Amino acid sequence: MRAIATLRSPSRAKHVDKFMRGVLWVIALGFILVLAVFVGAILHQGWPVLRLDFLTRMPETLEAGGGIKPQIFNSIYLVLLSLGLSLPIGLGAGVYMAEYAGKGRTLNFFRLCIETLAATPSIVLALFGMIVFVQTLGWSFSIRSGALTLALLNIPVITRVTEVSLMSVPRELKEASYGLGATKLQTILKVALPYAATGILTGLVLTAGRAFGESAILVFTAGTNTSAIFPDFRLTVPGETLSVHLWYVTSDGTLPDAREIAAGTAAVMILVLLILNLSVRFLDRAIRRRTR
Amino acid sequence: MNDSPESSLVAPALLLELPAADRLAPAPPEFRQSRFHRLADRWSHLVFLACSLLVVALIGGILFFLAARGLAAFLPLTGNTGRTLSFAEVFLSTDWAPSSDHFGILPFLGGSLAVTGLALLLAAPTGILTGVFIAKLAPSWMRSLMRQVMDLLVGIPSVVYGIFGLTIILPLVSHSFLKDAPASGFAISAMILSVMIVPTIVSLATDAFEGLPLSLDEGSQALGSSRWQAIWHVLIPAARPRLLTACVLGLGRAIGEAMAVQMVIGNNPQWIALMREFTDRAPFLRALFTPAATLTTELVQELPNTPTGSPWNNVLFAMGLLLYLLTMVLILATRRFGRNEVA
Repeated sequence: MRAIATLRSPSRAKHVDKFMRGVLWVIALGFILVLAVFVGAILHQGWPVLRLDFLTRMPETLEAGGGIKPQIFNSIYLVLLSLGLSLPIGLGAGVYMAEYAGKGRTLNFFRLCIETLAATPSIVLALFGMIVFVQTLGWSFSIRSGALTLALLNIPVITRVTEVSLMSVPRELKEASYGLGATKLQTILKVALPYAATGILTGLVLTAGRAFGESAILVFTAGTNTSAIFPDFRLTVPGETLSVHLWYVTSDGTLPDAREIAAGTAAVMILVLLILNLSVRFLDRAIRRRTR
Repeated sequence: MNDSPESSLVAPALLLELPAADRLAPAPPEFRQSRFHRLADRWSHLVFLACSLLVVALIGGILFFLAARGLAAFLPLTGNTGRTLSFAEVFLSTDWAPSSDHFGILPFLGGSLAVTGLALLLAAPTGILTGVFIAKLAPSWMRSLMRQVMDLLVGIPSVVYGIFGLTIILPLVSHSFLKDAPASGFAISAMILSVMIVPTIVSLATDAFEGLPLSLDEGSQALGSSRWQAIWHVLIPAARPRLLTACVLGLGRAIGEAMAVQMVIGNNPQWIALMREFTDRAPFLRALFTPAATLTTELVQELPNTPTGSPWNNVLFAMGLLLYLLTMVLILATRRFGRNEVA
């Protein structure tokens, strides 16, 4: 009724329409500006610090001039380990939900669980990892505690991406596969998953980015120290990542150049994020070219 | 072979345009049907089922371990080193002074709700309007640009948001609003949180508006409404259940965020008294910048320094349990909205 009422003065409605369109443009452009200022400021602050020296030196504990070499290593190592742990589980759960669970209560229940795990705050996962891996199993702050807890963060994302990518496989393709005499497992492994692979890969890159930036989980499971040896592949040593380092140097306050180190680390992280995002767009375009 | 005149006419023309068979598609995979393959097919779903059940077990496992540690504060267990607390003195008290045996967590719950509420106040309207903009008004170049902007905003690590707040927003606010008094607190945390949760709201709101039947658009335009009238009076009400879901999921993200908030909020469990002081003596604006604390920031701040088994440590785990239960309630709430949805 209200809509009809305003029709009595069409010129006013036209003005409101014009004004509100303007407001929407301003809000949208505002977000672009926020992002630009954000990325610009972080890179601007970090640029003077970003020398090769900074990336290839060991960190200092009390003096200025430390680098972030082991933190870079730990970040990559932990992301790869956690992806390696969560990929099989996420793929398996995604396959089950897309291909086996049907459409009834079971699927709904599994979806609810995945959604809950995806929405669980990372600090809660951190507490869980701390209780189970660090304390109960006695693994203390270590790469293995961190990788296992970080995997919990990845599993719901990979599951969801796998499910969605498998759902988008054309039915004709699967039917053709059955027509050739394939079993359901063969159809999934040799037809559906290869078709969905690029979609899953895109999701995987995004998951890697999320794991790379995660800090709350790793403060409580992988610790805020690094091994003195480089590179240290042992799973039992503590493994401070870039994001944890960034947080720790700013909140700890014993380093005289904490500000510079934090700025440089933030710039490195933003650059990695930009590269990951570009590669996702590249993958996306590859998918579109193939499906067209 | 083909008797029908139609197909004999059409088929050769089609064949001419097709590329060579080997360029059209890779050779079809070979499907061998040994005993092994049949057995694998019969039992493999159990492997996939096991992966799904693992997720279910995780949900239960997290609840179990957090409850075991969180509820220990209220039970006379042998592992405890201090006295047994009552529910009332933890959940209904604003007095947090662990060193003098007071464990009221209301300041943190209140802090979490205040910061989250403020963040949602900023993010919900702008997020929903951006969603409508992307789905219904933006030209296609703007649409893809906005998607990329949101993808980047959601991908920025929370510690980087934190350092941005710490090194840029805090000095700016302190200089321009507070006469160079050190700034921290609710308003700044909420500002940063709102940018962090807006991509969630935008992406779900965009989906909500794109999922609406086009007939709603066409119908309201046929009645002579302007674009904005259609959005305000028809599209937003029609999308309401899913917009509500978007806001609740954004709320969930905001309430669980730890590091970014911890870096800028000031970490002051006694914020209620301080805020009272500010509201008495200074303009309302100052109260918004009261250094405060939330459930998540207090966990980050104090958990590493408390001995296992002490009431202090147990209460911190109880706060974690509370966060987890809140998440579950929020997720169940989104299910409830989904049921009210008009198809």
